[in-house]
Amino acid sequence: MKTPIISVKDFHLSIGSKKIVDSLSFDVHSGEVFAFLGANGSGKTSTIRSLLRIYEPTSGDLLIDGKPFSSERGYLIGYLPEERGLYTRSKVLDTMIYFGELKGMTRAEAREFSLKFLERVDLADKADTKIKKLSGGQQQKIQLGVAVMGDPKVLILDEPTKGLDPVNRKLLLDIVDEQQEKGAAVIYITHLMEEVERLADRLLILKDGKARAYGTVKAVKQEFKSKSIEEIFVTIYNEKSAEVARV
Amino acid sequence: MSKLNSVIRHEYMTIVRQPSFWIAMVATPLIIGAVILLTNIGNQSSAARIEELAKELRNVAIIDESTLINEQVVTGSGLALSPSSEKAELIEAVRDEKKAALVVYPEDLAGERTYDIYLSSNDLTINNSVHSLANNLLETSVFLPLGSADVIALAQNGAETKVTTYHHGEETAGINEYIVPGLFVVLFYIVFMFSVGYMLTSVSEEKENRSMEMVLTYVKPRHLIVGKLLAVTLVTFTQIAFFILLAGVSLLVMHILGNTIALPAGISLEQLVFDPVAIAYAAGYFVVGFLLFAGFMTATAAAAPSSKEANNFSAVFYVGAFIPFYFIMTILTDPENPIVRFLTFFPITSPVVSMVRNAVGNMGPIESALSLIVMTGFMVISIWVAVRAFSLGALEFSQTIKLRSLFSRKA
Repeated sequence: MKTPIISVKDFHLSIGSKKIVDSLSFDVHSGEVFAFLGANGSGKTSTIRSLLRIYEPTSGDLLIDGKPFSSERGYLIGYLPEERGLYTRSKVLDTMIYFGELKGMTRAEAREFSLKFLERVDLADKADTKIKKLSGGQQQKIQLGVAVMGDPKVLILDEPTKGLDPVNRKLLLDIVDEQQEKGAAVIYITHLMEEVERLADRLLILKDGKARAYGTVKAVKQEFKSKSIEEIFVTIYNEKSAEVARV
Repeated sequence: MSKLNSVIRHEYMTIVRQPSFWIAMVATPLIIGAVILLTNIGNQSSAARIEELAKELRNVAIIDESTLINEQVVTGSGLALSPSSEKAELIEAVRDEKKAALVVYPEDLAGERTYDIYLSSNDLTINNSVHSLANNLLETSVFLPLGSADVIALAQNGAETKVTTYHHGEETAGINEYIVPGLFVVLFYIVFMFSVGYMLTSVSEEKENRSMEMVLTYVKPRHLIVGKLLAVTLVTFTQIAFFILLAGVSLLVMHILGNTIALPAGISLEQLVFDPVAIAYAAGYFVVGFLLFAGFMTATAAAAPSSKEANNFSAVFYVGAFIPFYFIMTILTDPENPIVRFLTFFPITSPVVSMVRNAVGNMGPIESALSLIVMTGFMVISIWVAVRAFSLGALEFSQTIKLRSLFSRKA
């Protein structure tokens, strides 16, 4: 069996007396899109932050490419967080190069990638523009560029299409497809179930820090005897308590 | 190491590329120069000045009941003395705006040391001019019996002093010994006002623009804070280099123009003393004090949910840094005073108090070393707290990090 690029086993997270995540386990494999779903406050962002060691897990194993993540292995990760933003007073190209360097690229590599990416997303003329002068959608494209810099093995996208118009949404999803084709594992967090239907190979639905559904899209649908992920999501969140459905 | 370099370069370039950075750097010496110039102009007092004021104030009446005012001085100013009997009438004239002002020197002026001015309006310029005129008439009249213009000038302006100081029987450079280490105090305040705030801005803006989570994926909080501290230190060196360059150019221009700088009594550029021990301590207090405050600012910015609240909290440190001014005479003259001892070791006041005491040489070698060690300890704690607060508060956008959570909650 193929070794997963991400392996989370019996993960618990408590902050103070509050239990955020309770005994969560899942794997993500290279080349797949893994939809990580749940309502606001269900523990998705805390799980990702723990995976990236921004938060220290209370217990459990959270491994990326066989080891706990550390910032020295930043080149493995492309992360577009929910709480995202850029240095508004810096120029577009400078910002991208800075993040490229933080991910372990040389200045020249980061510059070359950035210029190509800006060309690709039709922002080449904005390279020397300050970020604050860009529209929200343009800033989001820059953030995606930062995330995919260096062709990371794991791409974590937290609501990447939020606020994008249909044209840019398609462009972003095309870029996600490309990364997947290159072999990246994509953890895709969204509230838009049509995106899950279109992109995801497997999914996990989190409620109150616990996995309520986990498996391939097809298998989860069979388990819940439903034709749509949205319906399954609503069913789970309407239940007062539910057992973990492992498929 | 390369990530640290990237953080330093990014932070440094972000600060020095801001137009406001250079505007503040250039504007500050210009404003100081303008204030000095205006003060000099404002302080000019001479017969010519009296005449000038008198021309503007022909409509001012003078009554002298004290007999101290010299009539020739008054008439020389284009004015005339009015008899005391017209006092009520002249006050009415001022009230009706027929006279601009009335100055009445009372009979017991020497005893009471008070005289009256009646003004026809609230105009501050006229008020100030009449006051200067009246004062100059009085001063010149009082000093006139002394005789020659030189003696009058001496009585009015005092004389410069030439001080010879001995220590253990050896002649010393006096006040010139204090100047070089004392300059570190001035430099500290300049740097404090300019640079320490950059740490606050840098962290709180990073929180506010939500770029923190992306950054923390690739850089450890410790490295990010150290990178920012080193970048701000480099910015500080840039500022110091700029001010030194500016001072050098100013000196050169003045030298070429043949002007000399009027230094306070006893200070001589040729006699400045460069005591390596005092300078080393001053530099130590300066660097450690700077990092101490930078740590406080970082912790404040990391713990506060927004830059607005961070700015509010940071006021404590700005006020604290100026506390030594309230005790400056005690610090200079009474080093054994318990308050001075306390301020020497209290974190917020220790850098300035230690630098001042080191400059005037009222700290013994043990106290000097101890204050530097204690300050370094506080500096390490402040940076530790900053990193800890940063780890906890970097992604906290809605509430302030509580002090107890710094020591209890896992980051």
